[in-house]
Amino acid sequence: MLYLPVMKPINLMLWTFAALGISLSLAACNNPDTIIDLNNHSYELLNEDSSAVRFPGDYSGKTTLITFIYTHCPDVCPVITANMKNIQSELADTSGIRFVEITFDPERDTPSVLAEYKDVYSLNHQFSLLTGQPPEIDSLLSKLNIVAEKARIDSLQQDSSDYFMRHSNTIYIMDKQGRIRTEYPANVVPPENVIEDLQKIR
Amino acid sequence: MPVYRYCLLTLVCPLLLFWGCGSGENHQKEVVASGTIELTDGWARPGAKGMMSAVYLTIRNKTAYPDTLAGVSSDVAREAEVHESYKGENGMSAMRPAPDRVIKSGDNLYLQPGGLHIMLIKLKDDLAAGDSVNVLMEFRHSGARNVRLPVQAQR
Ligand SMILES: [Cu+2]
Repeated sequence: MLYLPVMKPINLMLWTFAALGISLSLAACNNPDTIIDLNNHSYELLNEDSSAVRFPGDYSGKTTLITFIYTHCPDVCPVITANMKNIQSELADTSGIRFVEITFDPERDTPSVLAEYKDVYSLNHQFSLLTGQPPEIDSLLSKLNIVAEKARIDSLQQDSSDYFMRHSNTIYIMDKQGRIRTEYPANVVPPENVIEDLQKIR
Repeated sequence: MPVYRYCLLTLVCPLLLFWGCGSGENHQKEVVASGTIELTDGWARPGAKGMMSAVYLTIRNKTAYPDTLAGVSSDVAREAEVHESYKGENGMSAMRPAPDRVIKSGDNLYLQPGGLHIMLIKLKDDLAAGDSVNVLMEFRHSGARNVRLPVQAQR
């Protein structure tokens, strides 16, 4: 009986802390933390129509899905592109959403090559296919933790412009403030998983 | 936790046993009712001239003997090879040659996006959805097989 008045405040404090902890972790679930902040960075890139793009500045105010491809990739990259399209088509409302595919092979993926790719896969105006000067692309990729390296297949007699690439397989969601918030395995993530997060972040 | 695990084991093990038996029986039957190499569900990706495409299909060995996919070619590409996409360290995607794949009697070899594929290297012309391509496959025992496949962006 004597202890009760003493115990109660302590209990109350413990419960308050616990509740605070739970609500904080819930908040973290609802609002994914920033993985990479591009806010104070700017990269000079080129769109597939050869127009200049300031990245990520030109996408501020939009929620942007970002992935990485190269057009000489015959097998996995088309699956990634198809997955981006599936996300787009399964979204009830795509207003304020942009879809960006950045090449990690800027030497071969010129704007006109990217325009051809965009055409082959029927990507609409919400899609941008971005390239740039190789050093600029390299520094953007390393900021985004994307790895891509040239690889040769020995059985093929190839000259120096013939190579494949070993590459990361990633889709990011970037929020309106240029912060990368979530990350997915690009060719296998179910569209609904990405859409669920998009709705929270947009 | 231990109770849960025990329940799961008693449930799963007999299931696995039954499943194992079932597929073994099917396997036997199909070999008996056989004859040829069957090629189904084939398609090729679009691509621009000078670029790449990939061909996918299911190869079913309905002969009584193992066979080997020894070579591929196509009139639309300068070169063709059997490749395999695979996941390397840190989830990186890469590709390697996959020559001389053996298909046991009664088995399927699946060429699918993100895995085995016939790579068409340096297309001689644009390939667009709606076109079709000829692909020649050399099997070590059954000989050459030619198929005509539709070009599609995705399946
Ligand atoms: Cu390949």
